[in-house]
Amino acid sequence: MRVLIAEDDPDIQVILRMVLTRLGKCDVQITFEGNEVLPLAQANKPGLILLDVMLPGMSGFEICKALKADESTKHIPVIFLTARSLPAELQQAMEMGAAGYLAKPFDPMTLVGQINALLSPLGASIGS
Amino acid sequence: MEETALSFEQILNATVRLLRTTWQASACLFLQADDDGQIRVRASDGVDAAVAKSLALKPNDPLLTQCMTKNEIVESKALSAKDNLARALGMNSLKGMKYVLVPVSGQARVLGVLVLGPFPKDREIMSRESELRSAGALCAVLSAHWRLYEWISNFLPQVNHELRTPLTAIQGSIGMVLGGVFGQVGGEVKAMLEMAHKGCERTVRAIEDYLTNQELPKK
Repeated sequence: MRVLIAEDDPDIQVILRMVLTRLGKCDVQITFEGNEVLPLAQANKPGLILLDVMLPGMSGFEICKALKADESTKHIPVIFLTARSLPAELQQAMEMGAAGYLAKPFDPMTLVGQINALLSPLGASIGS
Repeated sequence: MEETALSFEQILNATVRLLRTTWQASACLFLQADDDGQIRVRASDGVDAAVAKSLALKPNDPLLTQCMTKNEIVESKALSAKDNLARALGMNSLKGMKYVLVPVSGQARVLGVLVLGPFPKDREIMSRESELRSAGALCAVLSAHWRLYEWISNFLPQVNHELRTPLTAIQGSIGMVLGGVFGQVGGEVKAMLEMAHKGCERTVRAIEDYLTNQELPKK
């Protein structure tokens, strides 16, 4: 599966790339710029988008809203990776149509399983 | 339990209403000086926005400057007949009326001003300085608490974020090494990494306890 990751921390980018390519068997594309997510999603049609909440340019919530409003990207599952994890914000994410959220710090060895648990109701999975 | 707590905004508005009534003034506004030097209406007790606008003095207003830099209570000159404030208050004319600026002083600096008025020009206000200063002090305490609340509200999530982000990198990289992603590790190296990993988990629990799960009372 092709996965688009929007994350502005370079160290976490490395870890996510490693986990998703080695354990998740995914093709990974990473951007650190919020404004790039929608055009990248429109152009490359990823099967999953992992979104940090706090990104330069556009917040994760704004990006999710834009993705869900666009005919060509609204079907793509969005999972938030958040270090803020405030209940109201997470509720907001779910109301926007996100498939779920994962709190930082995450355990890389169980990340694929956690993502699959969120993708399962949508009939999708990674790592196989 | 039923939610009865008032927000800082409600308390501050109730306070300016109380002051307005006490001083028999048509308007009482608390103007706060923000960190960027801008003056904004922080509490007006729902007084029409036009009133607030009429009294919302600009940062370089001479009276405001005198009040804030010298920490002095100052009276305006007599207002003109066609003052915007009169229209906003629904009065025919404010000719001969005045308003008073009271410094709202914190411990280290003047936080803003209290604007009271309009009063007839001949009404003696300045002789009641201690009462006016008490009114300013009351607003200062409320305003300081409000600002502190806002600061903490922003500070906790920000620190939460700033700690979790590097922890994700530390715990994640150690986790992958221990998980055998780069080959098996054993012996003392494994023991040391497990210790570091446990330290990360302990730090995460501390963040959860002290930052993430701290619920502030509503504003």
